[in-house]
Amino acid sequence: MATKNKKVDLSVKFCGVNFENPFMLSSSPVSDCYEMCKNAFNAGWGGVVYKTLNLEKRFKVVMPSPRLNALHYDGKRVIGLQNVEQITDRTIKENLKDIKRLKKEFPNKVLVSSIMGYSDEDWTELAALSEEAGADMIELNYSCPQMAREGAGHKVGQSYDLMTEFTRAVKKGTKLPVMAKMTPNITDMVPAAMAAKAGGADAISAINTVKAITAVDVNLLTPLPNVSGTSSISGFSGAAVKPIALRFMAELAKDKNLKLPISGMGGITTWIDAVEFMLLGAGTLQVTTSIMRYGQRIVEDLKEGMLDYMIEKGFRSVSEMVGKALPTVVDPGKLPHQKQAFSVIDKDKCVGCGQCYISCMDGAHQAISLDKNRKAEVDEKKCVGCLMCYHVCPVDGAVTYKYDKFNFKTH
Amino acid sequence: MELKTKKHPVKTERKFNLQHALEEAERCLLCHDAPCSKGCPAGTDPGKFIRQLRFRNIKGAIRTVRKNNVLGGICAEVCPTCKLCVERCSRTGIDRPIMINQIQSFLTNHQHDIKFSVFDKDDAPESKKKVAVIGSGPSGLACAAQLALSGHEAVIFEKNEKPGGVLTYGIPYIRLNAETLANDIKEVTSLGVKIKCGSKITGKNAINDLLKKGYDAVFVACGLSQSNILKINGSELAGNFTWSDFLEMSNDPKLRAKAAKLVAGKNVAVIGGGSVAIDAAVSAKKLGAVKVYVISLEGLDELPADSEEIELAHKSNIIFKPQSRVTNIKGDGKKITGIDGVETEWIKKGGPLAPANARDVKGCEFSLKIDALIHAIGSRVEDSALETLKGAGVKTGDGNRTLVDGTYRTSVKGVFAGGDMIASGRKLNTVAAAVYDGKTAAMAIHNFLTSTKKGGIK
Repeated sequence: MATKNKKVDLSVKFCGVNFENPFMLSSSPVSDCYEMCKNAFNAGWGGVVYKTLNLEKRFKVVMPSPRLNALHYDGKRVIGLQNVEQITDRTIKENLKDIKRLKKEFPNKVLVSSIMGYSDEDWTELAALSEEAGADMIELNYSCPQMAREGAGHKVGQSYDLMTEFTRAVKKGTKLPVMAKMTPNITDMVPAAMAAKAGGADAISAINTVKAITAVDVNLLTPLPNVSGTSSISGFSGAAVKPIALRFMAELAKDKNLKLPISGMGGITTWIDAVEFMLLGAGTLQVTTSIMRYGQRIVEDLKEGMLDYMIEKGFRSVSEMVGKALPTVVDPGKLPHQKQAFSVIDKDKCVGCGQCYISCMDGAHQAISLDKNRKAEVDEKKCVGCLMCYHVCPVDGAVTYKYDKFNFKTH
Repeated sequence: MELKTKKHPVKTERKFNLQHALEEAERCLLCHDAPCSKGCPAGTDPGKFIRQLRFRNIKGAIRTVRKNNVLGGICAEVCPTCKLCVERCSRTGIDRPIMINQIQSFLTNHQHDIKFSVFDKDDAPESKKKVAVIGSGPSGLACAAQLALSGHEAVIFEKNEKPGGVLTYGIPYIRLNAETLANDIKEVTSLGVKIKCGSKITGKNAINDLLKKGYDAVFVACGLSQSNILKINGSELAGNFTWSDFLEMSNDPKLRAKAAKLVAGKNVAVIGGGSVAIDAAVSAKKLGAVKVYVISLEGLDELPADSEEIELAHKSNIIFKPQSRVTNIKGDGKKITGIDGVETEWIKKGGPLAPANARDVKGCEFSLKIDALIHAIGSRVEDSALETLKGAGVKTGDGNRTLVDGTYRTSVKGVFAGGDMIASGRKLNTVAAAVYDGKTAAMAIHNFLTSTKKGGIK
């Protein structure tokens, strides 16, 4: 890689653990076993959060089939993915053996052991087993939205006392840094994260999947995925949930009391998504859905793109980026109103499709008309600068906007 | 298939901006073990650069193109992609293939727009070895660039006043943007490569002299700059040209008026069915010729020229006379007045597309009123270059093509060769293949310069 500034790299320290780059597989089907994690390390991922371990003596995991349904939109496939996947269905013995082997073969890569228990003792035991196997960190799965066992997964994440108690139990079993994985299926994530912190959590990871129904089969009158005539409300992930995840990043990172490092996830596909998460406070990043969709190979573009961005912007380390956009996130009531914008349409670029006209006419302020050559024109007096026209225009650079100072407009 | 309307004749003629390139990249199926990446004579990896673009890793995509092929901008414009990468595109099974060339063009143009330099000259260790490169065509340029990246000093000797060889003097200006050509050559010179224009390496001792004068190796890439003339009755008359004479003139803005004089208001016939034949025909039409014919032994579906070029020819109202040959050139004693020809068929269907396999079809003779006849029936190594090579002891084979081994070594120690002039056995000579030769030869030259074992092919 040709870089002018040889000092810049993607390494980052998170909870005292050194990552060669901030990109990890999140705990999911993509980190199910030795083989997949090994391939990921070789492909260039900085770490993996291993698929959530289970003490099978309490509860035997059996996966439903089919277990996935995807959201396609406007010709674009898999913009989101719904799953009724459970935690690991492999034995604790097999998984611990794999974790040990991975750490032995890849001592410089980070392995986070994700665990889920059903009592204080379970949590303590799983934490101790993970440390013994050589894990670098532990992630507490308080957030799986479709656990087939009552009182587990996101039910814990919605119950603050349980989270504090279980985190305490984990800390009893290990000295490793511990991060609590949050469910977004909650009104406010900050008190939940505070509850984990009260139990001793060293970091927060967010978000787990969003509870959803992606589609209903209108012929069979059953939502999808159709599991022998039934379906469930279950976890939805991928690019479609990114805006929700970014919201939680900002809220967690801006909170004055929480002050815990965040491992961010939720729809990361390109390096731009990754940088967005970091600018809003994530210190490391986790990915599943886009790996399921495009493969582990995307880490090459995540890394190369982020490094080029850092060099271009003059960031000398990944941690310098963390939270850089947070000061600009304010309550809607604090947005400045001194300047009002209006749209400017470049007639040379306009192809005359009239999409802006339709949107402005039926959805905004009737400020756009089409001239005799079908080119769009803006009535500056009527335009309130909502920029709907800019967003629907298919031609790059045809719509821009100008500020019109101190000119309040109401409609 | 592209939708063609009168307003927008061929959409692909428009250049992509970032938005178009991303939209096209999003059509890509991001194949596993991408078939397109196996179709490039220069070893370009479209599967990778399209994926990089798709994931907004734009600089990475530019690196992938440029690091593999220093002339990536040129190749994107002139490469017969429909016979190479695009032909293999999996998307064709659904609707239409990805416009790989357009995406690559966007990337190399965008590189220029954002002033992004892919190569870091400082990365190369200095070797203090010096290599002479004869010819600044695609092979010479690619070789010199790769040598410079390996830390060697590369000096290109170019006989013409402008660098580029066939890129400057052969490919018509309507097919290769002058700015693209200049940018790609700048990419090479920015690595420290010196191009000495107007310096012809000629004479029996010329190559040995270079080796004596402090050059540690020589790479010969002088191309096929002399074109053949069909030797039949009347080929000595005025009005007969070779494609290279004609394209050299029509490509040079200063000489274009002279070229126009030869064809404007006249009927022109071109003999041949390759890229240069089509290029010459389209250029003649563009310069004002009335009727332009392309007469080829091959059938329309067998023409070696790229389908995009043929498309352009059809749109320029070029008249094709496929499966035909010229039998006689008529004249008034001084200049051409017309030609006689006959339609042909293959003796053995599926056999070689060569004169030996063609026979005349009785009753299908034709005559045309023609004022200028452009011969585009292949080219050869320039006579003086051949003399220079032979003087140095370089062995040649069929058609005087230079013999090289798998690492582009000639029969003479320290002398390497590549590009169209070598006996490669390739069916299709492309700029991309010449680039591959140059680049691969440079690696062999690097090994030669840095290893202790030396020698040529037996």
